[in-house]
Amino acid sequence: MARWLRLFLRLVLGAIFVYAAFVKLRDPWQVFANSVANYDLLPMWAVKLVARALPWVEMLVGLLLISGRFLRVSSIAASALLLGFFAIMVRTYASGIQIECGCFGPGDIISPRSLARDGSLLLASLGLVGMAFWQRR
Amino acid sequence: MRPVPVLLLTSLVALAANPPRSDPKAVGSPSAPITIEVFSDFQCPHCKTLDEQTLPQLIKNYAATGKVYLIHREFPLPGHQYSRLAAAYATAAARVGKYSDVADRLFLHQAEWSVSGKVDETACRGLTAAEAQTVRSLVNDKTIAAEIDRDVELGRSIGLQQTPTMLIKHGSTSYPWPGAVNYELLRSYLDGLLAQ
Repeated sequence: MARWLRLFLRLVLGAIFVYAAFVKLRDPWQVFANSVANYDLLPMWAVKLVARALPWVEMLVGLLLISGRFLRVSSIAASALLLGFFAIMVRTYASGIQIECGCFGPGDIISPRSLARDGSLLLASLGLVGMAFWQRR
Repeated sequence: MRPVPVLLLTSLVALAANPPRSDPKAVGSPSAPITIEVFSDFQCPHCKTLDEQTLPQLIKNYAATGKVYLIHREFPLPGHQYSRLAAAYATAAARVGKYSDVADRLFLHQAEWSVSGKVDETACRGLTAAEAQTVRSLVNDKTIAAEIDRDVELGRSIGLQQTPTMLIKHGSTSYPWPGAVNYELLRSYLDGLLAQ
């Protein structure tokens, strides 16, 4: 049962990461950069760096999760990314700023719904980390 | 002379005397390599940001230099009580050549009239008495309503979901870019298109 659950979480989280990377890479990089810039957390040089690099990191993590290779590393990387995204989104929403989350391309405004979605993904990812370590014992 | 060449000659003479006028809500040359249609709602805060922070630089560096043809489109959102009225005033002001003045003033005082509903006072504040009279007489005109409806329909036809959205057209491609676009990133994107 645990094995099937682990497989399910790997495939779902991996597919979501690959999809998130795909929609960012499909658009001009400036579009995602604009979403990052709207958070008003980074200087412009860092915004450009994140906008160009993050989609490839998401793609790599997604493909590793789907393949099942380096599961400990990939599940921790996925959890770290999701924790970072979730924390920034909560902070932005709590401060009353209405901007796009930039998670899956343009048009996705930060809302209780997007926070619930990313929170659920974070919980699933943390569950996968636990399973990845539990399996190896 | 046969009728067809005469008609053609007459048309060419008429065209030379009255070249096609550009849209009164547009800035720049219609023959610019890039066309940007900006769909806005006068009550939307991000539209205010775009109008005040990005568009002035875009107009100065790209529209005024013949690189971009910028067209303003109305997309009043149903949830905003006075957006449609504000769009009507701005569209009416375009008929007297004052679209930008009125639009900028509506955005500048957005926080006030969005609450008080005093759109007329804000829109007509900087106009001459004659201009204000013309604008007021046009606000409820059917052609103004039809013009706004055409913009909204155009926005819906491209799947527009939020304001502001810039529809950037270059050659045969068009790309809708929603949100208050940062000027530096927009410049980077436009320069890439122009270099193609």
